[in-house]
Amino acid sequence: MLDVGNLDVLYGDVQVVWDLSFTVGRGEIVTLLGANGAGKSTTLKTISGLLRPRRGTIIFDGTPLDTLPAHRIVTLGILQVPEGRRLWPGMTVLENLRLGAYPASARAQVETSLERVFALFQVLAERRGQLAGTLSGGEQQMLAIGRALMARPRLLMLDEPSLGLGPKVVERIFEVIRDVSRQDVTILLVEQNAHLALTVADHAYILDTGHLVRSGAGPELLADADVRRAYLGL
Amino acid sequence: MSPGLIVEQIFNGLVSGAVYALMASGLSLIWGTLKMLNFAHGEFYMLGGFGVYFGLLLGGLPPLVAVPLAMLGAAGVGMLLERLVIHSLLDKPGWDVSPVIATLGVSILLQNLALHLWGERFKNIPYYVDGGIDLFGIRMAWQRIVIVGVTVVVIAVVVTLLKQSRWGMAMRATAQDRDAAVLAGIDIHAVYLWTFGLAAALAALAAAMLAPIYSVNPWMGAALLLKAFIVCVLGGLGSLGGAILGGVLLGTAESLTVVLWSSEWKDVVAFILLILVLWVRPAGLMGTREW
Repeated sequence: MLDVGNLDVLYGDVQVVWDLSFTVGRGEIVTLLGANGAGKSTTLKTISGLLRPRRGTIIFDGTPLDTLPAHRIVTLGILQVPEGRRLWPGMTVLENLRLGAYPASARAQVETSLERVFALFQVLAERRGQLAGTLSGGEQQMLAIGRALMARPRLLMLDEPSLGLGPKVVERIFEVIRDVSRQDVTILLVEQNAHLALTVADHAYILDTGHLVRSGAGPELLADADVRRAYLGL
Repeated sequence: MSPGLIVEQIFNGLVSGAVYALMASGLSLIWGTLKMLNFAHGEFYMLGGFGVYFGLLLGGLPPLVAVPLAMLGAAGVGMLLERLVIHSLLDKPGWDVSPVIATLGVSILLQNLALHLWGERFKNIPYYVDGGIDLFGIRMAWQRIVIVGVTVVVIAVVVTLLKQSRWGMAMRATAQDRDAAVLAGIDIHAVYLWTFGLAAALAALAAAMLAPIYSVNPWMGAALLLKAFIVCVLGGLGSLGGAILGGVLLGTAESLTVVLWSSEWKDVVAFILLILVLWVRPAGLMGTREW
């Protein structure tokens, strides 16, 4: 479904992703792992079109993405839940969700999408009239995921969804990720909590300072002693 | 001094307040979405004035046609400015000063263009509506009532659009978090374009309202721009509500100064008001603390 080939990405003069290739198959949960600064978020931003690659290809269902403007990439069904949630703080929960269904294809199904999101995260239904900026961290993360689901994604990319959240909330969010994945949404997950990510992932890629160093099935990497010690800090 | 005169001056204050509010809301919308100051905003106002003048006197159009046409024309110029000048500066190094310098240049260019094309003689526009009414012994010209009425209606429409319409929501989303807007599929460059168009149209409307009372000339926007910036800062830069409140406040304060003291002290009072407000609320009356 998503094919990334020989990707080089630079911030100004500093190269942060080196010759990265990986694939995400339809319906899979794929995770990118690695320490801070490994280039995981940069990779997601490049797929979304917020950053442009210096070299390499990104192909989604046969469509090259690297020349499309970011808002067009969204209309193809690629949605990113950015690190730090990035909600519209001065808008209500409901406004954030409704605006999530901005792409033309999602607009016709706003009401059913809303019901689905409210069913996944009941707390959002209760707080629909509240300003997004006044929600707790966990609720904000739920809203950020809910907002992306409103666009009816085919590929959902989550950047550090567990960051700064308590174990209960993290558990709930990963339940939802599995749930969404079962509804024919492909997931690309960036996580610092490697253990958690590997337990849900079909396939994992480990990055180290911008280079791909290991890849394999989630359970396989989780069982590998070298990987555990060197990259996962377990 | 009779209370009637004071009430009359407060009403006159609302008239200039309405014009300040129209100008300042455009500046605030542009600041909100693009985080830049538009120093060519006074020229949108000036072009609106000339647009109405030519529509009325050369085209023989009724005001109800000439004013919307002038607004459309100004919106076109605003969108052109965004596409030709601002667009190429966006996201480049130096964005904190480059739009200031660029729009200042455009302002000088447009003023001189108007001077060469249309001359320096002040052009007068007849009142759209003659006469007035007596309310409890206070004389009010219809022209001034029209200014306040039209401004209230137009600002109400703009606020409703921003709150309710898809397009307005996209604008607010871009202002609140640009990257989040992009990631939701919003074409922020289209938002920037429409923001400039809307802001320019509001400035042209301000000119159309005020031109019959003053007159039309190439420099008419320059003095007003300074006041509009004061209003923006007073109300809180980027806040539409603040632009409206600040406009009404400044207009009324100036009018009352004229009648209670002297017209020479008008600007002094305006700046003292600004300093006092910033002393108590550094982000402006309705501004957020973020900056």
